[in-house]
Amino acid sequence: MSDPHPIDPRLEQAGASDESLLAAHEQMLGRKPEDDAHYRKLPLVLLFVFSGLIFYAGTYLNHFSGRYDGATFNENGAPGQAGGATAPVDPLVQGKKNYDQVCITCHQATGLGIPGVYPPLAGSEWVLGSEERLVRIVLHGLKGPVKVKGVEYGAAAMPVFGKVAGSGYNWSDEKIASVLTYVRQSFGNSASAITPAQVSAIHAKEADRKEWTQDELLRLP
Amino acid sequence: MTTASSAAPSAEVTAIDASARCPLLLLLGAALLWLVVSGALALLNLLQLSTPSLAADCAVMTFGRTAAMQQTAFLYGWAANAGLAVVLWLLGRLGGSPLRSLNWTVAGALFWNLSVALSLVGIGTGDGASHAWLHLPAYVQPLMLVAYAAMVVPGVLAWTGRRQPMMFAAQWYAVAALVLFPWIFSGAQLMLSFAPERGVLQALVAGWFGQGAWSLWLAPLALAAAYYLVPKVGGRAIPSYDFAILSFWTLIFVGSWTGGRHLIGGPVPAWTITVAGVACVLLLFHYIVVGINLRGAFACGGSTVLRFIALGLGAYLLGGLGDALTAFRGVAVVTQFTHLATAQSQLALTGAFSLTIFGAIYFMVPRLTGQAWPSGSLIRGHFFAALLGTLILIGALAVAGWIQGQDLNNATVSFAAIAAHTQPWLLIAAAGQAVLVVGNGLLLVHLVRAIACRWLKPAPAIFPEAPTMEVSRS
Repeated sequence: MSDPHPIDPRLEQAGASDESLLAAHEQMLGRKPEDDAHYRKLPLVLLFVFSGLIFYAGTYLNHFSGRYDGATFNENGAPGQAGGATAPVDPLVQGKKNYDQVCITCHQATGLGIPGVYPPLAGSEWVLGSEERLVRIVLHGLKGPVKVKGVEYGAAAMPVFGKVAGSGYNWSDEKIASVLTYVRQSFGNSASAITPAQVSAIHAKEADRKEWTQDELLRLP
Repeated sequence: MTTASSAAPSAEVTAIDASARCPLLLLLGAALLWLVVSGALALLNLLQLSTPSLAADCAVMTFGRTAAMQQTAFLYGWAANAGLAVVLWLLGRLGGSPLRSLNWTVAGALFWNLSVALSLVGIGTGDGASHAWLHLPAYVQPLMLVAYAAMVVPGVLAWTGRRQPMMFAAQWYAVAALVLFPWIFSGAQLMLSFAPERGVLQALVAGWFGQGAWSLWLAPLALAAAYYLVPKVGGRAIPSYDFAILSFWTLIFVGSWTGGRHLIGGPVPAWTITVAGVACVLLLFHYIVVGINLRGAFACGGSTVLRFIALGLGAYLLGGLGDALTAFRGVAVVTQFTHLATAQSQLALTGAFSLTIFGAIYFMVPRLTGQAWPSGSLIRGHFFAALLGTLILIGALAVAGWIQGQDLNNATVSFAAIAAHTQPWLLIAAAGQAVLVVGNGLLLVHLVRAIACRWLKPAPAIFPEAPTMEVSRS
């Protein structure tokens, strides 16, 4: 303080006018670094401090973010652990979901197909009969003429669904088992369920191959 | 030197101050009234913590309601009125012309303070909301938003119509506080009162609002006062001023992200807490720069204004460090949901905010009334009461909180034993609060005397021409 007199707390005086206060600070912002005779250490120190804080922040975020998962409540828990126990999936529910997404376009919601174009699933001897043949049809597809309930179909091919070469769907064996179970137990059908193990066994035996034909399938049990 | 008279004021006490006299004194008077009300309620609250049966038979006076009333009176009564008075005044001065449209401020202030009074009645009768920092009943909230918008009109006009195109740091903080509060306030009203979010999102929004009201509203109000008065009273330019802008933007961008720290240990997704903790640490940069910029306050040279601001600044910096420390989960395990969290918010509110604003009031009121404060001993009395009361209150609450946190983590300590362990410290905190109430009462009495003297015994003070500021070579 330049004022040698004691300050009266009842009436404190300003040390600078508003105009000069504004002007002085404006001048400080416009000042170039080389205007200073001496080198300023503070900017460098602050830069290091800020960089250090940001580095720390990034590391901390990386460790404890829980991958920004809304269901992760423990910052140390790996993602996915937070879900807890998983309930077994009902194959009929999963099968219907998959059927409604894909199969329904040809075989229809009724399972009756479209006469003359897409064969029916309801009451079909292929669906209710040999499980060996049925699994193969979905795994690798079916091409060429096929006779269902006494009617000849051949205009459309059954696509390849399994996780095999040339598949457009890559459905897991479990998924195929559930959709087949659904088909065998819906639309008035009531046949036994297909297990994922059955599908896996056939998948392992046949591996990759081209679409089946009716004749090839009829040679199987 | 020029002699001031009411007819021809000197350069230092200008038409800028004279025109704003009545509206700003109205704001200050209302603010101090609410501060004393809030302090008395806080005292009752602290006594209820150690003696739960106190006034427990009267629904209005039960702990939950008085705590909410106390906080509402403090935030929306004292802090809003006083902070706006100081900031409007400094925007007018730095803008270089008298404040315009002050009728808006008067009208807004009337409705705002009516709303606060209505809120206290509403909370007392059980209409209060259950969010920290937003206990206002839903039916008052829209009115307060409109009243706030009216109150800040002169500030915004002074800023847009300023003489100098370049803005000074005090103006950044002042304008940020003026315009950011309606944003967070309306957002909180929408998401908490009128279309309430469900589940944990509600707690997250409340945390965001509470932290935003501090980081984007009250802290900038106090910082605006400090950034103006430290160079103004000290007469020296702010050292390392070129960093002030980085510090400002750090607070604005990072400040409200720290809201999640209030939910450490709560049932919210882990990342929200982690981000808040990181934001608390990043905010240290802001505190470091503020400390460097305003260190002139600590060399106060006998100025009471700067002494108050130095105490407020100390509390602000300590609070920032405390926020960063307790944002670590290892520390929060002990401190979270204890009296220590209360101590932290008191450090910010009665420490950083109030003490800084007291300093500004002691500088501003003589310029508004055009004459000196009536009594020097009342000022000294208030200073020591504020210093002592704040230290005792926050220190005792912090110790109580630490004991409480340690005990809560120890399964062998019963709940009754925890209450017994913290009780002596809570009584000490109540004593600190009592000292604070007395001190703040002194300031209220002093302000009433200053206003009365202005009209009953006019004695225009001498405001010498202020010297020109030199640019420091730091």
